[in-house]
Amino acid sequence: MAEEPIIKVENLTFTYNAESDNPIVALRNVNLEVYPGDYIVIVGHNGSGKSTLAKNLNALLKPTEGDVWVKGMNSKDPANTLPIRSTVGMVFQIPDNQIVATVVEEDVAFGPENLGVPPDELEERVTWALNVVDMEPFRLRAPHLLSAGQKQRVAIAGVMAMKPEVLVLDESTAFLDPVGRQDVLKAVRRLNDEGVTVIAITHFMHEATEGNRVLVMEAGRIVMQGTPRQVFSHVEKLREMQLDVPQVTELSYALHRRMPGFPPDLITVPEMVEEVLTQKGKGRGTQ
Amino acid sequence: MNNREPIIQVNDLHHTYLRETPLEVTALRGVNMEIHAGEAVGIIGRTGAGKSTVVQHFNGLIRPRQPGRVIVYGHDMSDPNVDVRAIRQKVGLVFQYPEQQLFERLVGDDIAFGPRKLGLPFEEIRERVREAMEMVGLGFEEFKDRFTFSLSGGEMRKAAIAGVLALRPQVLILDESTSGVDPRGRKDLLSRIDYLHRHHGLTVIFVSPNMEDMAGLVERIYVMDGGRTVMSGSTREIFSQPEKLAEYGLGVPQVTEVMHELKARGEEVDTTVLTVAEAEEEIWKILNS
Repeated sequence: MAEEPIIKVENLTFTYNAESDNPIVALRNVNLEVYPGDYIVIVGHNGSGKSTLAKNLNALLKPTEGDVWVKGMNSKDPANTLPIRSTVGMVFQIPDNQIVATVVEEDVAFGPENLGVPPDELEERVTWALNVVDMEPFRLRAPHLLSAGQKQRVAIAGVMAMKPEVLVLDESTAFLDPVGRQDVLKAVRRLNDEGVTVIAITHFMHEATEGNRVLVMEAGRIVMQGTPRQVFSHVEKLREMQLDVPQVTELSYALHRRMPGFPPDLITVPEMVEEVLTQKGKGRGTQ
Repeated sequence: MNNREPIIQVNDLHHTYLRETPLEVTALRGVNMEIHAGEAVGIIGRTGAGKSTVVQHFNGLIRPRQPGRVIVYGHDMSDPNVDVRAIRQKVGLVFQYPEQQLFERLVGDDIAFGPRKLGLPFEEIRERVREAMEMVGLGFEEFKDRFTFSLSGGEMRKAAIAGVLALRPQVLILDESTSGVDPRGRKDLLSRIDYLHRHHGLTVIFVSPNMEDMAGLVERIYVMDGGRTVMSGSTREIFSQPEKLAEYGLGVPQVTEVMHELKARGEEVDTTVLTVAEAEEEIWKILNS
């Protein structure tokens, strides 16, 4: 690819309590290149290292070994910390922990205001950010009275109002109900369409279909990567890791085993329905 | 009490938080439910439907107001003299955030807290803690002296459930207790709860946004919307009505959705399918037709 990666992770190893008697190695020799406009989904269990990786991407954590480069800036150099953080915005799991103000629009304005954005532009940015997450009608409401999904969208707006080029979502949908989750995913998709690079960390396998690239992490390593379809086609391996394979993919794989002409890697309900109708009657005689 | 009588009965329950203040919010506007001993019952509904508010009535965390009635094991929960401690031994509630339910320094002490409060002798407390920990899959020797806050999210959840199980409740309420746990921890926890339900007769009340998990665990479902119970029936009956569920912002398991779509396209299929294995057989019939 001719384009320069916006984030480059080289041989990253990260150890918690590295100096103590009880060091915990969270990342082992991870390599990753993220290009502008990517929507990367990182899946894995608790403890697989995915959150540690995320925190290394905006210099909340610094590599124990190896390097993280953000637009050519090495995260180990303290002078780069602030520019890296304004490039890579981060949204966490529980929205309540990152909401600071008592009115939605003030909360969204908090970050850019602290960056010294002038009032006119501030107003513009807040309106843009609230619109993009579909929360404009709530701008004068109290955040603590919103639903969890709405709060999470306010948190995303707050980060986006600082105009980062990369948005990292660290399990930002884990505690939301299905409707809240869909609304957040829709907002993220819209941001990606507007050119924002997205890195989403989740343990919901079906959210992996949102991205153009999926990374599967296990025990501090990237153990699988590819397009969603490439990754989902490894049903047995995913099952071995006890990751959630979408029911449709399980079904697709089960049918494939009984009838090799049936594709093993279907992901969505419409795909399955079309395939069944196309293949109707073709199973006769096979077993 | 005979077996036919429900252990929990809810009639026309209403509830308003911060009543008679400018901030009052009405959460329940007419809920009716019956839970029988040994059942596994699901409660589904979008955020704000009132699910948590209802289940908090079941162990007396919230008391009903007239004319609504909640009867738990024959006790009218609106009676100020009802023995709430006795009710809470029978009806255990696990919340969404486990870290809010753990407070002792060591895992074993945290799980022992309830039985200790019952004034049980030391040996019995120890036995109950051991049993409860094994039930949720936390090895007694391995975990009892671990720091509570060094546990992973999934382990915390298990410790919180063990703390409730150590009281040997007859009813276990899980209020979105699997949210935020990774798939491995979630499947493990659910299969253990399913086991306790099937083999120890534990009554389970399960609140979860995950319809696939719901389909795998419960026999019957109540649907709530806007503070009311709006649908009730067997798990198959409920999930065979996707259009109606969609009105309440709810979905059905993915394989059930496939069956409904196939039917809409003119295929003769069983739309009450709930699992991948059932769907496989149904589709196999079409592929061979």
